[in-house]
Amino acid sequence: MRMFLLSLLACAAAQAVLLVPLSVGGVRPDCFLLLVLFLSPRLSPEVATLQGFGVGLCQDALSGGPLGLKAFTYSLLGFLTARLSHKLNTDKPLAQFWLLLVGAAGAGVVTFVLSCFFVGLSPLVSVLWLIVPEALYTAMLGFLLLRVSWVRAVITQST
Amino acid sequence: MSILWRLLGKYRRGVILAVTLMTAFLLMSLQVRHDRAVVMFTREAILFAVSPVIKMAAMTVGGLSSVWQDYVDLRGLREENIRLQREAGILQRRISQLEEQALETQRLQGLLAMQETSQRNYLAARVVGKDATNWFKTILIDRGSQAGLRRNQPVVAPDGLVGRVVEVTPTSAKVQLITDPVSAAGGLIQRTRVTGIVSGNLGAGLKVRYLPLLADVVVGDEVVTSGMGGVFPKGIPLGRVIAVERRGGALFQEAVLAPKADLARLEEVLIVMGTETRDDIETEGARQP
Repeated sequence: MRMFLLSLLACAAAQAVLLVPLSVGGVRPDCFLLLVLFLSPRLSPEVATLQGFGVGLCQDALSGGPLGLKAFTYSLLGFLTARLSHKLNTDKPLAQFWLLLVGAAGAGVVTFVLSCFFVGLSPLVSVLWLIVPEALYTAMLGFLLLRVSWVRAVITQST
Repeated sequence: MSILWRLLGKYRRGVILAVTLMTAFLLMSLQVRHDRAVVMFTREAILFAVSPVIKMAAMTVGGLSSVWQDYVDLRGLREENIRLQREAGILQRRISQLEEQALETQRLQGLLAMQETSQRNYLAARVVGKDATNWFKTILIDRGSQAGLRRNQPVVAPDGLVGRVVEVTPTSAKVQLITDPVSAAGGLIQRTRVTGIVSGNLGAGLKVRYLPLLADVVVGDEVVTSGMGGVFPKGIPLGRVIAVERRGGALFQEAVLAPKADLARLEEVLIVMGTETRDDIETEGARQP
């Protein structure tokens, strides 16, 4: 639990400060999303759902969007990732990248659908400016992080 | 009752997922209904807990980048040139520091000049963090309610409007930028005095909506705040028209604006103090019998 909270705080700092210089066209990789995608396969679906809710709530509080937007998305993502973990567990790098990309794009689509109720974004603009670039950038960062041994150690300790 | 517990135990995964999703959806719905007490409390509590970490990270990044710069400067030097290169490094750092100070002074002079020419009171604040998602445009500043900040206070830069304060904790506050997709401000085309609503336009600056079809709007027109809406004072520069869009069958025309203030590279901002915010007006109204 302590490691999870520390990881969450580290994600908050990374997202708000450290990753800002790395943004391309205003788009940064989503650390909170990576936290959910990394931890959920190692948890039971119930715990993964609650963990996704907590991570999403924290990200919502640090963003200008409606509180609950990311909490909803990550609860669903956490549940599905944990539920399908036996099928998603792979050591093949290419498969890991594709799974991260699909997870990030799926989260983007859910966020977009929910945002439509509250913000009214254009679908084309959202896909081109946000969902695709964010998913690609997040998957690339996630793929690189999975190659770092101490990141894998932190993931194991957090669960 | 025991059957209910047994059923809950049997389907606990589904129950937990449903309850969690419903809670998240309820939180979102509460904001739409402007029933914000629970939501604001939750947001501010989390922000209060996390903002010191973000401030610390901002300070650490500043320090580390300086250390990294030193490392890069000194790496690969030959033994016999160490002394000279150290001196050069020190001088270089001094120059960098002085240049940085000069730039900061220039920015602060701009802010000061604005403060002196205006009758309003301003409070300067530093930007310490950016929005945690790519979907919305907010910044975190290092001043909060202890410095007198309240929700809905306008935030400006020397070039123009930045946004408004949306959340306040004792030591920090969140500012919604005018480029945020859910932001809106009353805008006025300075040349023709036509009014419209200026809102964020995801990935492409600002948009002035609800301009009458026959209104005279051309590329290059300056747009300022109209003062309508009770949040932003009149006359703060918003941007310049870079395109006018008239769609067939539409009741209104729209104009795309390039923001006056460079919102991607904000380091210091000014909060307009001493203005009666919409929250004050609502509170005052509620007090009256």
